[in-house]
Amino acid sequence: MRSYFFRVTLALALLLVFPLCALAQKEIVVWHGYRGGEKEAFEKVVDNFNKANAGKIKVTTLAVPYDAFADKITAAVPRGKGPDVFIFAQDRLGGWIAAGNTVEPLDFFLDPAIKGRYLKATLDAMTYQGTIYGLPLNFKVITLIYNKKLVPAPPKTTAELETMAKKFTNAQAGRFGLVYWYSDFYYHAALMNGFGGGVFLGRKPTVNSAQNVASLNYLLTWINQGFMPAEPSTALITSLFNQGKAAMVFSGPWFLGEIDKGIEYGLAPLPTISEAGNKPMRPWITVEGVYVAAPSKNKDAAYEFAKYLTDVPAAKVMALEGRQTPANKGVYADPAVANDPILKAFRQQVDVAVPMPNLPEMSMVWSPVTTAMNVIAKKAATPKAAMDQAQKEVVERINNLLKK
Amino acid sequence: MAAQAQLVSHRRRFLIGLALAALLGAWLGAALLAGSQQAERRDRAERRALVTLSSLTAVLDRTSGGSTQEAAPTETAQAPAASPGTEGGMGLGAEIAAAEQGQAPTSADARGEAVRKAVERFAAAHPEVGAIRVVEFEGILLAASTAPSDRGAKAAPRRLERDEKPLYDLGQRLRAAVEGNRQGAEGAARQPEIGVARQPNGVLILTAPVERGGEVIGMVQMETRAVPEPAAFAWLPFLAAWLAPVLGLLLLSFALGEKRWLLAGAAALVLILDLFLYGRYALQVLAAERRASTQAVAAQIGEESKKAETLLADLSLSPNKPAGQPLAPTLWDVDLFRQSRGLIDASGAPSEGRLGELAGADAGRMTRSVAVLALVSLALLAFVGLGWAVRTGTALVEYRVAYAYTLPASLGMLVLVFFPFFYGIALSFTNANIYNTDKSIFETFVGLQNYIDIITDFHVAHRTAEGLVWDYHNFYYTFLFTVIWTVCNVAIGVSLGLLLALILNLRGFALKPIYRVLLILPWATPNYITSLIFKGMFHSQFGVINQILEMLGGHAVAWFNRPFTSFLAVLTTNGWLSFPFMMVISLGALQSIPADLYEAARVDGASRWQQFRSITLPSLKPALVPAIILSVIWTFNQFNVIYLVSAGEPGGSTEILITQSYKLAFEQYRYGYAAAYSAIIFLILLAYGTWQNKVTGATEAIG
Amino acid sequence: MRPNRSEEPAHWPLHIFVLLMVLITVYPILWVVTIAFSGGQSLAITNVPANATFGERLRAIVPWPAHVSATNFVSLFRDQPFARWLLNSVVVAGMTTILGVALACTAAYAFSRFRFPGRRVGLMAFLVSQMFPGTLMLIPLFIILVQWLKLGSTFTGLVLIYTVTAIPFCVWMMKGYFDTIPKELEESALIDGASQATIFFRIILPLAKPAVAVTALFSFMTGWNEFIQAATFMNREDMYTGPVGLRFFVGGFSQQWGYFAAGSIVAAIPVMALFLFLQKYLVSGLTAGAVKG
Repeated sequence: MRSYFFRVTLALALLLVFPLCALAQKEIVVWHGYRGGEKEAFEKVVDNFNKANAGKIKVTTLAVPYDAFADKITAAVPRGKGPDVFIFAQDRLGGWIAAGNTVEPLDFFLDPAIKGRYLKATLDAMTYQGTIYGLPLNFKVITLIYNKKLVPAPPKTTAELETMAKKFTNAQAGRFGLVYWYSDFYYHAALMNGFGGGVFLGRKPTVNSAQNVASLNYLLTWINQGFMPAEPSTALITSLFNQGKAAMVFSGPWFLGEIDKGIEYGLAPLPTISEAGNKPMRPWITVEGVYVAAPSKNKDAAYEFAKYLTDVPAAKVMALEGRQTPANKGVYADPAVANDPILKAFRQQVDVAVPMPNLPEMSMVWSPVTTAMNVIAKKAATPKAAMDQAQKEVVERINNLLKK
Repeated sequence: MAAQAQLVSHRRRFLIGLALAALLGAWLGAALLAGSQQAERRDRAERRALVTLSSLTAVLDRTSGGSTQEAAPTETAQAPAASPGTEGGMGLGAEIAAAEQGQAPTSADARGEAVRKAVERFAAAHPEVGAIRVVEFEGILLAASTAPSDRGAKAAPRRLERDEKPLYDLGQRLRAAVEGNRQGAEGAARQPEIGVARQPNGVLILTAPVERGGEVIGMVQMETRAVPEPAAFAWLPFLAAWLAPVLGLLLLSFALGEKRWLLAGAAALVLILDLFLYGRYALQVLAAERRASTQAVAAQIGEESKKAETLLADLSLSPNKPAGQPLAPTLWDVDLFRQSRGLIDASGAPSEGRLGELAGADAGRMTRSVAVLALVSLALLAFVGLGWAVRTGTALVEYRVAYAYTLPASLGMLVLVFFPFFYGIALSFTNANIYNTDKSIFETFVGLQNYIDIITDFHVAHRTAEGLVWDYHNFYYTFLFTVIWTVCNVAIGVSLGLLLALILNLRGFALKPIYRVLLILPWATPNYITSLIFKGMFHSQFGVINQILEMLGGHAVAWFNRPFTSFLAVLTTNGWLSFPFMMVISLGALQSIPADLYEAARVDGASRWQQFRSITLPSLKPALVPAIILSVIWTFNQFNVIYLVSAGEPGGSTEILITQSYKLAFEQYRYGYAAAYSAIIFLILLAYGTWQNKVTGATEAIG
Repeated sequence: MRPNRSEEPAHWPLHIFVLLMVLITVYPILWVVTIAFSGGQSLAITNVPANATFGERLRAIVPWPAHVSATNFVSLFRDQPFARWLLNSVVVAGMTTILGVALACTAAYAFSRFRFPGRRVGLMAFLVSQMFPGTLMLIPLFIILVQWLKLGSTFTGLVLIYTVTAIPFCVWMMKGYFDTIPKELEESALIDGASQATIFFRIILPLAKPAVAVTALFSFMTGWNEFIQAATFMNREDMYTGPVGLRFFVGGFSQQWGYFAAGSIVAAIPVMALFLFLQKYLVSGLTAGAVKG
């Protein structure tokens, strides 16, 4: 009987106390696309944040598969049914801003100290029309990955690279010196930007610029030298590298997880281009940003979480346990991160990297340039002709949006 | 007796029908007119407020004379462009530091003082204007404010507080719009450069960018009471438009007697005439409203320009900008892009030419509205007048059991399928795209333009040096390909499925259950991965298919390099994926054939083929025909296989209509156009379905 | 009762044909199995030198992993609540099946047996609903389901959507099958004083078992494999379905095909089990006696 009264009293006490807690505590929902080790690290950071802000802010997370993530945000966020914070790459940023009521601008919150803690290129990727819309969390960039057994010292210039690659190649035996997805525009961007090319100047498409064509002509000389396999694909690249039949690969952090345990590999910056005045190859970086949802009711708390997530302690967990390459530059001063050869290599590469455009028009570029790249790789047309055609299509697509 | 009753009800029905239809038409028409009137009056109030705002920005522009102030922002602007920052990120902190040093504090203070003074005087001269706030982006500064809440500790200048973030964000949005619009038409669509927000209490909040040296450095926000005079609902024209036709028909019906079709014609005629006259009346009302608006705006401009001149003289500022531009009040009647509307001519009077153009546009719109109204009303008239309404009512009661049986399924379909369907159809009449998703359907309405663009694009092929080259993105090419794709797939699926089902239905055929289970594996396994396995199998260098070809002494084929081989690859994949479904259907359908039919046939000495022709096929028809129709529809819209296996390669030649529509929507962001594409796909399938149904009689009930 | 043996065709050529079909059917699936058991994550590709021997080539086209490992299956269930997601799928697809078959049976019965105004239009409407491509339908569906019906993050919402997706086919399939059942059966039952419900449940449904089996399998598959709507409408990880869980292995930059293949095989098992269970109904034909009475 006593225990019964005790329980009732306790329940009543709880009933009184809980609403007070609930009032004070802000609930923040975060959507992300992580799984596996990245997800564990992320949830650990969230736990740390929740502990540090107990009673004030409580963050809950939802993982969404990549294939559905963008559609889910587009459907849910503008209707106020979405999260308070979401994490996504910069490529959709321009589209969401144009669509409206999706991403909250953050300039107001950002003082110079906060802006100063990120790698410049990553913050640029979060900037759209002069306004910063997200805090950069991590970046992905392609770099040179080589088989240590086959390549004792990575090449510093493309001239060195070509010599090494030709020496190793034996097409009969299925061995290739350099293997990368050269017919994919994303991978080709490293050469393109290295030659001083690009996709947009301001908002005007420059797909067929002289620099872009020069970079493609240069790619053709690589193809003609025969040290790269025909019809490259991710599966082929992985398979060749894992069988020791590829000496060097241009790829990003996602490739490392697919390398067999038996293969000893190293990372080095992409070589400088001998044919372009020894300028470095400049790959695109994609940056995952932490965005505050525009319809969120707890924007201050959401921003606090975004700030915490991109600060050094969280970045360290995400780097060492989640194997991400953080956008926070302070974390690279930490000895554990500084001594990590992989993180170090990507950090080095980002210095010459270019943020992939975040304009909504970018999605109108992919299909025409992909066609052009395939045509060029199959030598069905000259780079100039193929890119002229692509430029024509891109301009047409952009103009179609302006018609009334 | 019965005939007599029917005759009487004809006239009554038409009178009731016309009364309802005219009520609907007149009510909708009156509501539309009142809406446009209200909109015009709101617009008038807004335009007048915009004139005041223009005057305010013109004054503010002139508070920042002198050259030292102009220098600071240009230096800041150059800093980010300086070094691409090879030392990774080192650049940014330094830039900010540089920017902070570059600012000359004394001149900024002086400038701030001048702005505050100008704002205060302006507010004093405009009692109808509420709070004015000026924000400078640099340092997120509230530079001036006349808002009652910004007194004492919160007086300007001060940094904006957290709850004022929307104000700052709005300013930034306007800055981005100005810069974007300046970068030319080839980028994004034009964006408004003035923010307009209307509060429920009628207060209008206008926001405009403040520029210096060609760069947006801040914003000014002005609250003003701009309550439009309410337009009274015109009861008399409404009642006349409603009752006059009914009265007319009543009189006519005495002359016409009880002839059904004559009555119908007369009722329709009266209704159309009625709506036409109402349209003419509405047009006149609107034209008067428009003229009144522009006159009011012209008066406002005269008043404001005088106030501005006095104010500038008071502040001892030159009416000429530093660049030497005098005040130009006739350009103050601006739209949201800060462009003059051109309704006021240089002398400050309404421009008759432009007004005439607007009236012409109004007339066009009115004709369309009246046509739509007439259609809707005529439909109602026909529904009631021709007796369909009564018949529908009786049918609902008489066949209630049948309706009850079908209701749950139909209800679900109605809510979850047909609503999205109508949404899609509505979308197809707009030019909705990523830049105007916030606009209503009426603002983006383009009528049949999307359909016309798609259907009249005949660039199917063009001649080059190498001969005829297909234009793979053309609608007709894709359509042709889709048809071939569908026919081949369904033929393969049905023949293989049926053949296997026939074999597996043989009596005494060994291992039947095991075969059956193995053969439905393609259906059971998620097709995402099996499609990709097929893509891998068709790889030119490392695919299994080419390995086998080479083993057998053949040559490797680059499958995705040529349209035909690429087609074979996707066809194989989809054939493999789709035959198990047909097999299962056929197996089920085969069970409905009573075995004794075959016994009888055998006794009659019919051959196996004759039995198949005259017993099996006809008996399969009821179950198989719907399955075939549906599988045609599904294959026509089979997205995954094309998207994952060939991805349209080479050059979009193996794209089908649905993948094309997907790309239009999600790569090119042309939602309206993509919806029209979808609607055309729908119409094609509808035509096919109707035809197939006629031929096979699938919807017929059994005798 | 056995028919004359000589009229029956010899079965062995048919066996050869069916075996060939089975081989073609199973071969790609075996590659899925190979990837699943390879312990690795990449899509298998055959990589043989240009001057390979016949033996090497043969080895290359035989789907068999270089080393067999079950780690993908272990990780599949250990690293994420995949079992939970599959269970959710079973619930959702199961409910879809029950609701789909129930609604389709009643509607199809009316379409087959009653003649009423709007019958043809109604039947056509079910067909027409399949014709409008679904590319732009996610947002309106979201508005209805989440904003209006407040069924976001509920199994009910998913079941409703899947049922409605499956119904048109089911109605047409059932209607076609009901049409083949002679009307005399019901008429005689009516004369015997049986009620409408009795006729439906005691006479019609048992005779339509093969069609019910097909319909059930189809409804189940509709709910079992759907991904994008489940991922969009569910806002709780513990309410995701199997296909959503599977798609976690397809990232923007990298794909874990090993896990995906393992998951696909696991996901195919319940479907196979259901098919095995339904098989006996699928092939339970009308026996001559029952029909002719």
